[in-house]
Amino acid sequence: MADERIGVYICHCGTNIAGTVDVEKVAQRIAGLPNVVLAKDYKYMCSEPGQAMIKQDIRDRKLNRVIVASCSPRMHEPTFRKAAQEAGLNPYLVEMANIREQCSWVHMKEPEKATVKAIALVAAAVAKSVFDEPLQMREVPVTPAALVIGGGIAGIQSSLDLADQGFKVHLVEKTPSIGGHMAQLDKTFPTLDCSACILTPKMVDISRHPNISLLAYSEVKAIDGYIGNFKARVLKKPRYVDESKCTGCGLCAEKCPVNVPSEFDLGLGTRKAIYVPFPQAVPLRYTIDRENCLYFKKNICRACEKFCTSGAIDFGQLPAEVELEVGAIIIATGYDLYDAGHKAEYGYGIYRNVINGLEFERLVNASGPTSGKVLRPSDGKAPRSVAFVQCVGSRDKNANLYCSRVCCMASLKQAHQIKEKFPGAEVSIFYIDMRCFGKGYEEFYERVQQEGVRFIRGRVGEILENPDDKNLVLRFEDTLLGEVAEREFDLAVLATGVIPRADTSELQSILKLSRGPDGFFLEAHPKLRPVETNIDGVFLGGAAQGPKDIPDAVAQAGAAASRAAVPLSMGKVELEGIIASVDEDLCSGCRICESVCEYGAIKMKEKSGKQVSSVIEVLCKGCGVCGSACPTKSIKMCHFTDDAILAQVKAVLRD
Amino acid sequence: MKKYAFFLGCIMPLRYPGIEAATRLVMNEFQIDLLEMNGATCCPAPGVLGSFDLENWLVIGARNLSIAEQLGLDITLTCNGCYASLQEASVILNDKERRGRVNALLEKVKRSYGGGTQVKHVVEVLDKDVGSETLKNHITRQLKGLRVAAHYGCHYLKPTKIRAHGSSERPVFLDDLVSLVGAESVPYKDKNICCGAGGGVRSGEPLVALDFTLEKVQNMTAAGVDCIVTPCVFCHLQFDLGQTELRDKGRLKERVPVLYITQLLGLAMGLSPEKLGLYDNSVPPAYLERLGITGGNK
Amino acid sequence: MKDSKANRVPSWNLAKEVMSRGARIYPLEDLNTLYECVQCGTCVGSCPSGRRTALRIRSMIRGIQMGYREEVLDTNDLWSCTTCYTCQERCPRDVRVTEIVKIVRNIAFEEGRAKERHLVVANNFIKTGHTIPLNEEGKKTRVKLGLSPVPPTSLLFPEALAEIQEIMRTDGFYNKVIRDKK
Ligand SMILES: Cc1cc2nc3c(=O)[nH]c(=O)nc-3n(C[C@H](O)[C@H](O)[C@H](O)COP(=O)(O)OP(=O)(O)OC[C@H]3O[C@@H](n4cnc5c(N)ncnc54)[C@H](O)[C@@H]3O)c2cc1C
Ligand code: SF4
Ligand code: SF4
Ligand code: SF4
Ligand code: SF4
Repeated sequence: MADERIGVYICHCGTNIAGTVDVEKVAQRIAGLPNVVLAKDYKYMCSEPGQAMIKQDIRDRKLNRVIVASCSPRMHEPTFRKAAQEAGLNPYLVEMANIREQCSWVHMKEPEKATVKAIALVAAAVAKSVFDEPLQMREVPVTPAALVIGGGIAGIQSSLDLADQGFKVHLVEKTPSIGGHMAQLDKTFPTLDCSACILTPKMVDISRHPNISLLAYSEVKAIDGYIGNFKARVLKKPRYVDESKCTGCGLCAEKCPVNVPSEFDLGLGTRKAIYVPFPQAVPLRYTIDRENCLYFKKNICRACEKFCTSGAIDFGQLPAEVELEVGAIIIATGYDLYDAGHKAEYGYGIYRNVINGLEFERLVNASGPTSGKVLRPSDGKAPRSVAFVQCVGSRDKNANLYCSRVCCMASLKQAHQIKEKFPGAEVSIFYIDMRCFGKGYEEFYERVQQEGVRFIRGRVGEILENPDDKNLVLRFEDTLLGEVAEREFDLAVLATGVIPRADTSELQSILKLSRGPDGFFLEAHPKLRPVETNIDGVFLGGAAQGPKDIPDAVAQAGAAASRAAVPLSMGKVELEGIIASVDEDLCSGCRICESVCEYGAIKMKEKSGKQVSSVIEVLCKGCGVCGSACPTKSIKMCHFTDDAILAQVKAVLRD
Repeated sequence: MKKYAFFLGCIMPLRYPGIEAATRLVMNEFQIDLLEMNGATCCPAPGVLGSFDLENWLVIGARNLSIAEQLGLDITLTCNGCYASLQEASVILNDKERRGRVNALLEKVKRSYGGGTQVKHVVEVLDKDVGSETLKNHITRQLKGLRVAAHYGCHYLKPTKIRAHGSSERPVFLDDLVSLVGAESVPYKDKNICCGAGGGVRSGEPLVALDFTLEKVQNMTAAGVDCIVTPCVFCHLQFDLGQTELRDKGRLKERVPVLYITQLLGLAMGLSPEKLGLYDNSVPPAYLERLGITGGNK
Repeated sequence: MKDSKANRVPSWNLAKEVMSRGARIYPLEDLNTLYECVQCGTCVGSCPSGRRTALRIRSMIRGIQMGYREEVLDTNDLWSCTTCYTCQERCPRDVRVTEIVKIVRNIAFEEGRAKERHLVVANNFIKTGHTIPLNEEGKKTRVKLGLSPVPPTSLLFPEALAEIQEIMRTDGFYNKVIRDKK
């Protein structure tokens, strides 16, 4: 192996590395290693001149291996690979040694030891590079279609953005209609436009768009494949109503004798066993709720069938599976509301006049169960005093530490609505901090202050119920005065926080996504890749990534669509060259590799009369699990061969 | 036959022997053997002595635990305060470093504590070892019509992180026991609030402690109850003696009699009020007449 | 007011003092939550003592953070907490409020700031092993109920009493009580 010509570049990263590690000393020591032609240190290797220096050296000094000792490969490996390629060197012959995150930053107080460690890390990279072989990126074609999961405002926005660009979009929504939480809201802060008025046109656009195929009342069951070439299996749940025949006239629901609590109205109102969740539903197709339908329960009734003039009722409908091929996926599954019952001190679910913010939205909504009259659940009377209790289940280490970001503004909006409907009502908001950070939000706060809403800085300790009139007594401290107080209210609205969807882990395991400590889906980088995920080709839109109001959800959904459009419009994607390969002569056909591969990238095949393992290259992510599990050592992980890793280990242990 | 080391503490043996007698009788009915912890002391009181010197509190607690350890038994006890001290001490002493420090002191008196002794409140023994089926089978006298104010006390449930009996906000175990004997657990305002005695407040600020007690008793009376039932000897004292103190100060007219949970159970199991020490409380057991109970068949 | 609040000198390491003292008993990472208090007032809003006394437990936590040593240690309020744990259970930052009360009281006790009435209890304890005495009437009731006249505790076993007294002489508690009991 005498003809390896290695160039080593030690980056100062300003003072990030050089402030701790003696970079000159590292260069000196490394220069003395076998095969090392040159070892240089430089202020910023990633800068133009830094890259130019590498390119120049590759050409002039005939380097055939390049080592960059700098930061984590996450950010700059592509930079240096590209530079090498431009100078005619195979990009896989570039190695990086991470002497920043794994050395200078963590050993800031021990510069001498840090220098010793840096030398070891670079020497290890040098030792490994000798075993590196040129590899090729693989190019694969892209299916120019997208799958959007979740039809709230975020999923709607992403779908429309992609469809308008000419891509085919499959929008999968779990419930019978799209719209999500926004459909349940009455007015929207801070401009107070009616939620349905701005949402419905977009929902209609979805149903009419030639490029969008809407799969409502459906769930994604499995997804295989990789960026550009995903295959999704979607289950269409039976509505027991033929979607192609139902005209949405509603005669069936009129005749249906069964009343059940409406999910859409959070149990505050009722619906029939055959129903649409709300009048503007898209698609406007009825659904039979099998659990409550008399025909399914007792084999009687069939009233809907009798009265349906289009013959759409189909009690024999079966679940149907649809297979979709798409190049990109957007997750827009939104959020669930925190269950305030967990904060037992507030009596939610026990005291009837304690409600949550979303219930308030339904009560104040003209098409809601009370036709827009905000009335006390206990006696149907108009409340003369209303308390808003902030941060229920948010900013709370015993629930969720994060701030839910929408509830301060939502309570301001609702306080305003109370003042509008009942000008004489006493309205108090109990808060820790009022968080009104968006455009026009502080201004809205000021407006609500002017309307006479009382702001009390103190998180409520507990709520008691007066057993006779069901009025509520709030115990709190006015922290600005240091005064302990009890005050009686007719109605208490809990500003319950926003939490990840209950079924987040199912989708997570279908797609192998990461989640943050808050439980929401995790973006690839909190600042620079906010809509990408750890899986190429899968993007995040709306509140699925974390609590968001509508402006933010829409903005992020748009961003997800434009990121997803990149591979779709490129028409092809490049896949990593680092994959596993099988030595078929050594393979004993034990199938252990097949069982450990998370990505289904190993398949058995017949080779001269015996079963041997083979790697499906496009599926292989290069994780290396198969290689370490193989008992006969017949799987080789390119770029991370046993020899290379052992050489690396030896080099680290040498000094 | 299940065996426990019986930790007496201070208030039960020295002020309310009736509770000690009732507990021994009831446990005997359930064939639970209570063995003496000879030479045990105050737990030591978590709110008073713990407030003075936590390290001393821990080492004295460890000494008490070591007595049970020598017997090879887990501990049972009747006071939420003793439970607070010994249960918490046993958790803290699961930590090797802290146990080592305590053992260095215990060594001076030729003792040591190895860790792992479990501390169970009597209500836990009733709930887990005895169980509601057996309890039901032993009830010979349904206390029908008895209106009970259940008072939980603080330290059996809290801090929930180490007690681990679930949420402390709306507990039900005591109400369940009350219904089990045929009596009615009556809801009343601020049911979960402290009796006022803990944290050294009874000894240091007796008037503040009594103010808690008065408010609770008023809330109970407003709901119309015949008696108070507690699972804590210290709460029992604060309600029983405290009401008499309040009466003597002219702040309370009608006192509500108090029963410790094993006294209530004993009554329903047919034991005589005398043996259960019901007449040895400061507030006389007026409810007996209403229930028509004069003696017992055991 | 003699010295105005504006001029008070904070002792910045009070929080550290509280934590390092408490850490001999409680895990330090639990006590560290002292720094996390956001002054939301849930504790005071929940405190049954604060409804009838001047105790504002939130202010005490703040006082510790800010290092107002005298105000924290030398107040009657410190002794009005019944250690009911309601505040600690509901605190959204999981501040170990009640445990901190006890630790602060430990410091106050060591500095001779305990109440005379508390010392009576402490004195009973170091002399008998119990916080309250056994009187003749108590013995009689015990016998009537079929119990031994003296319970089998340090009251019955002098060697047990000697043991705890030895421990308390070694760990210094004995002297703290005797010294204060002028
Ligand atoms: C009380 C309250 C008041 C509010 N008021 C305002 C306001 O005035 N102004 C404002 O800007 N914001 C407001 N918001 C915030 C607003 O609700 C959100 O910003 C918005 O709904 C986020 O949209 P989304 O599409 O991301 O999520 P969602 O609205 O939650 O929609 C997600 C959709 O995905 C579907 N879905 C979920 N899981 C799956 C799955 N596995 N497969 C298929 N489909 C799935 C759901 O059924 C749903 O249709 C308020 C929030 C609350 C709680
Ligand atoms: S068959 Fe079922 S859905 Fe149809 S009307 Fe009867 S109960 Fe309603
Ligand atoms: S938005 Fe307001 S109410 Fe909601 S968690 Fe944040 S601070 Fe609390
Ligand atoms: S409840 Fe906790 S965070 Fe809030 S003021 Fe009290 S100690 Fe601080
Ligand atoms: S533990 Fe003390 S400070 Fe906390 S709520 Fe109870 S009495 Fe108040």
